[in-house]
Amino acid sequence: MVRKIIHCDADCFYAAVEIRDNPQLAGLPIAIGGTSGRGVVATCSYEARAFGVRSAMPVSEALRLCPHLELLSTDMPRYQAVSKQLMNILREFTHLVEPLSLDEAYLDVSGSEHYQGSATLMARAIRERVRQELGITVSAGVAPNKFLAKVASDWNKPDGLCVVAPEDVADFVTDLPVEKLVGVGPRTAERLHELGIQTCEQLREWSEMALRERFGRHGARLFSMARGEDDRPVAISRPRKSISVETTYNRNLETLAQCQSALEGLVADLHRRMGRKGIDGTGATAMEKLFVKLRFADFETHTRESLWRQPQLPGTGDFLPLLETLYGDVPRPVRLLGLGVRFPVASGRGAGYQLSLF
Amino acid sequence: MKIRISRESLLEPLQPIAGVVEKKQTMPVLSNVLMAVDDDALTLTGTNMEVELVATLTDLEVSQTGRVTVPARKLVDICRSLPEAADVTLALEGDRMKISAGASQFTLATLPADHFPNVEDDEDSFTLNLEQREFHSLLSSTAFAMAQQDVRYYLNGLLLEIGDDNMRAVATDGHRLAMGNLPTPTYLDTPRQIIVPRKGVQELIRLLDDSEDPVALTIGSSHIRATLGAYTFTSKLIEGRFPDYNRVIPQGGDKTVIADRETLKSILQRAGILSHENIRGVRLELEPGQLHVYANNPDQEQAEDTMSVAYDGEPLQIGFNVGYLIDVMNVIREDQVRIVLSGSNASALIESTGTDDNLYVVMPMRL
Repeated sequence: MVRKIIHCDADCFYAAVEIRDNPQLAGLPIAIGGTSGRGVVATCSYEARAFGVRSAMPVSEALRLCPHLELLSTDMPRYQAVSKQLMNILREFTHLVEPLSLDEAYLDVSGSEHYQGSATLMARAIRERVRQELGITVSAGVAPNKFLAKVASDWNKPDGLCVVAPEDVADFVTDLPVEKLVGVGPRTAERLHELGIQTCEQLREWSEMALRERFGRHGARLFSMARGEDDRPVAISRPRKSISVETTYNRNLETLAQCQSALEGLVADLHRRMGRKGIDGTGATAMEKLFVKLRFADFETHTRESLWRQPQLPGTGDFLPLLETLYGDVPRPVRLLGLGVRFPVASGRGAGYQLSLF
Repeated sequence: MKIRISRESLLEPLQPIAGVVEKKQTMPVLSNVLMAVDDDALTLTGTNMEVELVATLTDLEVSQTGRVTVPARKLVDICRSLPEAADVTLALEGDRMKISAGASQFTLATLPADHFPNVEDDEDSFTLNLEQREFHSLLSSTAFAMAQQDVRYYLNGLLLEIGDDNMRAVATDGHRLAMGNLPTPTYLDTPRQIIVPRKGVQELIRLLDDSEDPVALTIGSSHIRATLGAYTFTSKLIEGRFPDYNRVIPQGGDKTVIADRETLKSILQRAGILSHENIRGVRLELEPGQLHVYANNPDQEQAEDTMSVAYDGEPLQIGFNVGYLIDVMNVIREDQVRIVLSGSNASALIESTGTDDNLYVVMPMRL
């Protein structure tokens, strides 16, 4: 059966919420992120993007590109509230909603009877209702699978709708640059380019075997996506993969000792977050790994992990060895420190959970 | 320092030594190999501070003695690239090492030999003499179950327990356990337990061969040293208490399966193809005379296979990480294996049906 998938993605979500609540900001280049001058941009308005400001860019660099940038600090509780309203609207169309983040979700409307089952009309209705009820815009993509729907929602962004009907899939994919494929980042793109592959049409000339040899299991995905195929189901609940905290410090941490004492505060934050979510490391919340992330002043970033299969929350002493290995012997200024835990891939339902000897 | 040596004599010991030297080094001298020449021998040493490998070569012509360190990787690559049976001359000139063979000339940077760390000797050590093949077999049949980068650091190694007439090796990562035994008189009054780190075990396995040639093990309070042929290998020991392994060896399982090892391995490998890539779970279903193996993955792909086994107990379903079972099938040498089970949530005991008393314990996965 041909499926009908909608991918909805709010346009510069945090910025849109800020502008909605303070209309004087409309039309100005604004960015939301750490305001200390050392944080990074979380989201920015299209006016700011015109200056070259991008998500994940250090605020200092954003200010250099756009000196009159209006900088706002993140107000998570407010965004979360709007996100909840957004998801509630989506769930009125189908219960098969897979949120990807606060402002992004897949919907499987194959079985939905609204609008005579027309996914296109449903996507229009979603966009209209979000605009009226929430005062922000969402872009939507409609397609027979998740991958195409996601590419489509980006096609006419912002405030756009793009429909890829089943009969148009082949044409839609032909000229699609490989960079648009899910899971193709700069590195994979570069390797594809080296093989003379720029578009999906060129990618289709490669056999699945040849792609598997070069790209491992991702090769099989590339093979399917080049043909516009993706049979991943829309999953209502996705198991939590990790939980983490991180901080960019106002002033660089100059020594290992400073990092060590900063780590203590982070561990306390992590415990608070885990406590709120009812994670105590036992039963279904059993953990798999610990990790520490370190970003040096030159933006070189490293993470290191170790196994953690004990039925209790890890303490500062458990993270310290990872920090020490990451930091190395040569003192270097550190701008960001993060840490967290990862959960086993199949936890949640208990099935597929590896039991321990001791 | 100046010597003449054949490419092969130099290359053979250099390769395992370069294996000990790690690429990412915090101290530059640790990516170097120490060359020490005395009147009639060349001694090569590589270390990563955890393990050290020394080779002594006598098949050479010494013109001048001396000591210096040179980049290990580059020296190996140069030797490897030279034509077979090339006659190689190495000469220290100032702080440079000149290497020449035929028309090929190389000049390598050096670091002074006195920067090179050396492993201090332990007092209170004792020595055991074994055949290489026995020790190799003991290590290689158990090492696969060692943990990797576990926070329980004492699991990232192999336990060697030396009693008065037996040496036992135990490895576990918390999910499965391997235990091997090597009967040998040690004349040791009080049993000793040591934990050899992962890297040390792997290098030892690489150095030992399948021969009856001797290996002498010197075990001290913080190091183990193996002397075999031209090599002396030293590894630090992991300090810490290994968990009480006897506690997790299951007793009194009432469901015994005897299966042909090769057949079982094949059906596990086949079914494993369609198990979840990360979790690798397979479901085993036992009924009298038959074992069924099932696997499926999130893409709803399925595999199913069946073999005849000797089993007359009650039907049982149990899940396992297929990789853990295959690892065991790979190290058992006999044609038949015995699997003793008691229930779906209890560990399985796997042994060969032959004479060796190695045993393996694997915890199941929840179905």
